[in-house]
Amino acid sequence: MTRRGIAGGAAGVLLALILLGQSWAEIPRRIRFLSAFASKELAVRRLGGSGTAFDRRYFSFLENARRRIPRSAKGIVMLNAPANEPLTYLTMYQFAPLPVSFGPVRVGLEPSVPSGWFVAEYGGGPAPGRDLLPEGTVWGPAP
Amino acid sequence: MTLVLSLLAVAAALLVVSAVGVGTSVSFLPPERAFFLERLGWGDALGCAVLIAAVPIALGTGLAPRWGFVVLSAVAVLLGRRLRLTSRRRSALPGSVSIALLGVIALGVAVYALRALTEPMWANDFVAIWGLKGKTIYGAAGYPGRLTSLGFSHPEYPLGLPLLYAGLSFLTGRWDDHAMALLFPFLQAATLLVLFGWLRRRGASPTAAGLATATVAWFEPLYSAFLTGMAEVPLAFGLVLFGTSLADALDDTDAGAIRRLTAAAALIAAIKNEGLFFSVVGAMLALVFGKQRRWKIAIPPLAAALLVRALHWPWRSRIPLADFEGGLFSTSRVWDSLAAAGQLLGASAWIGLALVAVLILAGRSVAAGNRLLLLAGAGVAAYLVIPAFAVRGPSWLIETTLLRTTAALAPLTAAAVAARYAASPSAGPVDPADA
Repeated sequence: MTRRGIAGGAAGVLLALILLGQSWAEIPRRIRFLSAFASKELAVRRLGGSGTAFDRRYFSFLENARRRIPRSAKGIVMLNAPANEPLTYLTMYQFAPLPVSFGPVRVGLEPSVPSGWFVAEYGGGPAPGRDLLPEGTVWGPAP
Repeated sequence: MTLVLSLLAVAAALLVVSAVGVGTSVSFLPPERAFFLERLGWGDALGCAVLIAAVPIALGTGLAPRWGFVVLSAVAVLLGRRLRLTSRRRSALPGSVSIALLGVIALGVAVYALRALTEPMWANDFVAIWGLKGKTIYGAAGYPGRLTSLGFSHPEYPLGLPLLYAGLSFLTGRWDDHAMALLFPFLQAATLLVLFGWLRRRGASPTAAGLATATVAWFEPLYSAFLTGMAEVPLAFGLVLFGTSLADALDDTDAGAIRRLTAAAALIAAIKNEGLFFSVVGAMLALVFGKQRRWKIAIPPLAAALLVRALHWPWRSRIPLADFEGGLFSTSRVWDSLAAAGQLLGASAWIGLALVAVLILAGRSVAAGNRLLLLAGAGVAAYLVIPAFAVRGPSWLIETTLLRTTAALAPLTAAAVAARYAASPSAGPVDPADA
């Protein structure tokens, strides 16, 4: 067999190996996901996707809080956010470009809130002066 | 807004960016027909470069970024026309592959587009690093100082990709991290155009060039849903631009080669930290193989990469690196790194690497291919040695990064291997009119 023949065979086998190694089973699932979610708004598509799969309720809280907090806010203090790196990143990303500070988790220990910042408490119940969300509360701006 | 409308907006923005790049490319590629496909790919790269540069310039001067892009595009196109290359050489179009191979390549792009666009970009590094910075730049219309000390967001990384995200958002008028994923199959297609076009121009047969292109198009470790949003796909594109233009500059194929090399060096330095490393390796290869033109080839790209790094200075990290420490290096840690890499690869990966070795050995020694192999080999060596400095141990860095970082070398490696099957060292497609 010539060198060119060997090369042709190796190239063909390599391409076949790569084609066979594809995750073919995921393709119908992706098409189904796209057809189900394409007409929905962006936040719903993220809610249904992989990026929030580890805690969809927390993402729902972030999105509801984001919608409730006005654009004039200078930053967000998060209370009772899960101590989990991916959720910390998601929180920062979701509120960007606003800065986010993570307050103390212990109940009753109120953090100092800078002027113009809002507070979002995950899992917080109804209280005077707070906007109640399905998954927590939001209040502010701090004077 | 529904996904379809957002996708149309991003596609329109990418078309405009490409058109600006193609307009600028006349000063980087000669007006020969053999460069036709590469011009399309380079157009995408140059257009993205203009958009990346327009964002900080506009924000720094108080101009609306959209108008900043318009002004900088006009300057780039006019400058391109003024510095346009001329050529009397006649060459043929790169030609096409068989319908079957073309179908395989097109299907590879389509499948990656489906993977990339199924849902909003979600990878941890997109959310924590690239997307966070892009969204902040877009939303704040600036670069807040807090990002320079946000450790998990790696303030030591260059800002090319976040600026590109912000630029696209300024053009479309909204931050849409789902539709913006269209950028990734767009960059994949540009990579394939440059790969196929360069291989054909440098004498590879349509089948050899087509097989290399199809293999890259379907290379899932790179073109995956997970890497969509991260810097590997843009870097892989930049490395193909850099490697092919380095090979062209060393073989003195045309008057635009050093310009292309310089532009590619600036681009890769703007995308990832290792862009500067590859620019240094490229300069070393130029000094070794460049003969009388060695300094002429080595200096401009290295200077461009260093300039890009210097321009990042105001936004660089103000905190020490948390993941690496120079004093940790030892040979035993390098061995640990190699052992971890060996364990990481599965049987099919080893078979694939063995087939690549067969392809290298069965081909003939071609200078351009050899140099690209050296460039890719230097990248693999760096990715294997750097974990020896990792604070959390070599295995940790190997397990978390090696597959994706080395995957970015796949298109460059494909160019290197397929170049060994070129008909003659510098033969390109011949124009029948010359016969």
